[in-house]
Amino acid sequence: MRKLLNILVKVLILCLIIIWLIPVVWLLVTSLKSENTVMTDKLSLIFTPTLENYKKAFSSTLLGRWLVNSLIVSVITTILTLLIDSTMAYVLARIQFRGRNVLFIFILAGMMIPFEVLIIQLYLELTKMGLANTLIAVMLPRLAMPIGVFILTQFFKSIPIVLEEAAFIDGASRFTVFRTIIMPLSKSALFAVAIISFINAWNDFLWPLVAISSSEKYTITVGIANFQGTHGTEYSLIMAGAVLASIPQIIMYILFKKNIVKSIAMTGIKE
Amino acid sequence: MSSHYADHKKRDIVLFSLPYLAIYVAFLVFPVIYGVYLSFFDWNILSSKVFIGFKNYVEAFRDPEFLSSFSHTLQFVCISTPLIIIVGFVMALITIQPTRTGRVAETVFFLPYMLSTSVVGTLWAWIFQKNYGLANQVLKLLNLKPLGWLTDPSIAMTSIIIATLWWTAGFNMILFSAGMKQIPDEIYDAAKIDGAGSFTTLTKITLPLLKDTSLLVLILQVIASFKVFGQVYVMTGGGPYGTTRVLVQYVYKTGFNYFRLGYASAMSVILFLVILLISSLQFLRKPDQAQ
Repeated sequence: MRKLLNILVKVLILCLIIIWLIPVVWLLVTSLKSENTVMTDKLSLIFTPTLENYKKAFSSTLLGRWLVNSLIVSVITTILTLLIDSTMAYVLARIQFRGRNVLFIFILAGMMIPFEVLIIQLYLELTKMGLANTLIAVMLPRLAMPIGVFILTQFFKSIPIVLEEAAFIDGASRFTVFRTIIMPLSKSALFAVAIISFINAWNDFLWPLVAISSSEKYTITVGIANFQGTHGTEYSLIMAGAVLASIPQIIMYILFKKNIVKSIAMTGIKE
Repeated sequence: MSSHYADHKKRDIVLFSLPYLAIYVAFLVFPVIYGVYLSFFDWNILSSKVFIGFKNYVEAFRDPEFLSSFSHTLQFVCISTPLIIIVGFVMALITIQPTRTGRVAETVFFLPYMLSTSVVGTLWAWIFQKNYGLANQVLKLLNLKPLGWLTDPSIAMTSIIIATLWWTAGFNMILFSAGMKQIPDEIYDAAKIDGAGSFTTLTKITLPLLKDTSLLVLILQVIASFKVFGQVYVMTGGGPYGTTRVLVQYVYKTGFNYFRLGYASAMSVILFLVILLISSLQFLRKPDQAQ
């Protein structure tokens, strides 16, 4: 009886895993089928795979441009976020001054602000700044990441202060200490913040949708979403685009799965 | 400490925190205040701003489109939240096992969360496509009648919820398994010695000790569900007949299609207040822990 139950549980687990995999398989399979094969009324799993859709995605759509845009946005956002979040965190973790706790709370309060309720105002603000329809407009509101400041502040506090004191006595400036002692010791925390920042920037949808109006400046998420409007029934082309749009995340997932999972657990718990 | 170090304290504080604070205030704090300000005006981008007090708020609660968007959002929140949490919990129970199956399961269950909203949306729009989509092909194979997954008003929201479940259950799984890993092994060992079965262990040890994690997961999930937009926008565009239109989408439409910026801001403020209220429930945790 017990054995039977065990087997049953194992089968159910296997089913769940397979169900969760099917959409991804379907995505890949569709992207490798020719347009005609897709439109036959069968679950044709036997077919001659073709890279036609991938070629077409690059040659007859702006997908290549969108990928470059997303890469620019995500990389620059990640670098700048790391820079401003870590210097801010250093102040909060290491420099004693009146009002520090108030400042800390003021920054943490930012985690309570849902980005979705700011789109109208941000659009007006960035238009007034003359930045409407630019990639800069896509990046700017995403740079200050309160959760990043929080993670880094906690981490910096855990670094023994003795190292810095020795450097200060030798006459090093705060900037030098920050650059040569704090940053190298904080690689793991910086990496976690970088992962969160990059994935957020790459997957951001609503804000680039609002901020960008011309199709050659779309990020990949907005471009893919608009595929359906422009390539209505070319499903294999759309799926090839969706696969290409996911390559950076998939590569990151393969290389850094453990770190990603850890960062997610951390943000979830701290948010 | 050298005096040099103390001398530059003020300068260093400013230099180190200015970049962050400038961007934080300009693009996060200011928009909140500006949004509240705008919500008291009638403003059509072409016309000049006219102060109208609380009229936008009054209008929202009389606007059938706003009310229906609000109720669709609530419907989404109430159905998706328990589903995603329970599935996420079951996944955590599976993946916490230190076996190969556990590790494979974790990789597979979390994978969808890595994909962007628009990829998830287009993929599921294709799966639910009426004539050639996977869902209807499977139904036909089983000799069942194909469904209008995204075109039938009575099931379109369910289809969106299914896609969202697939996409985000893995996130809750991670939070749950992080919570489970914090439960000391000794407790489980002791239970085993006392002869507790796996069901008893689950209900008497795992669940009670995950109370804090569960509250956190619940709050995060409810907030995330209230902000739903991308997958709806891509999969149904709010249709059929506006039956899946959600709050964020109506704000977007009011602002950028009707150009009623004051009114759109007022609705944003309402959504913000709802989310703030839910977020503040987190602080209920503190006195609970003190006991």
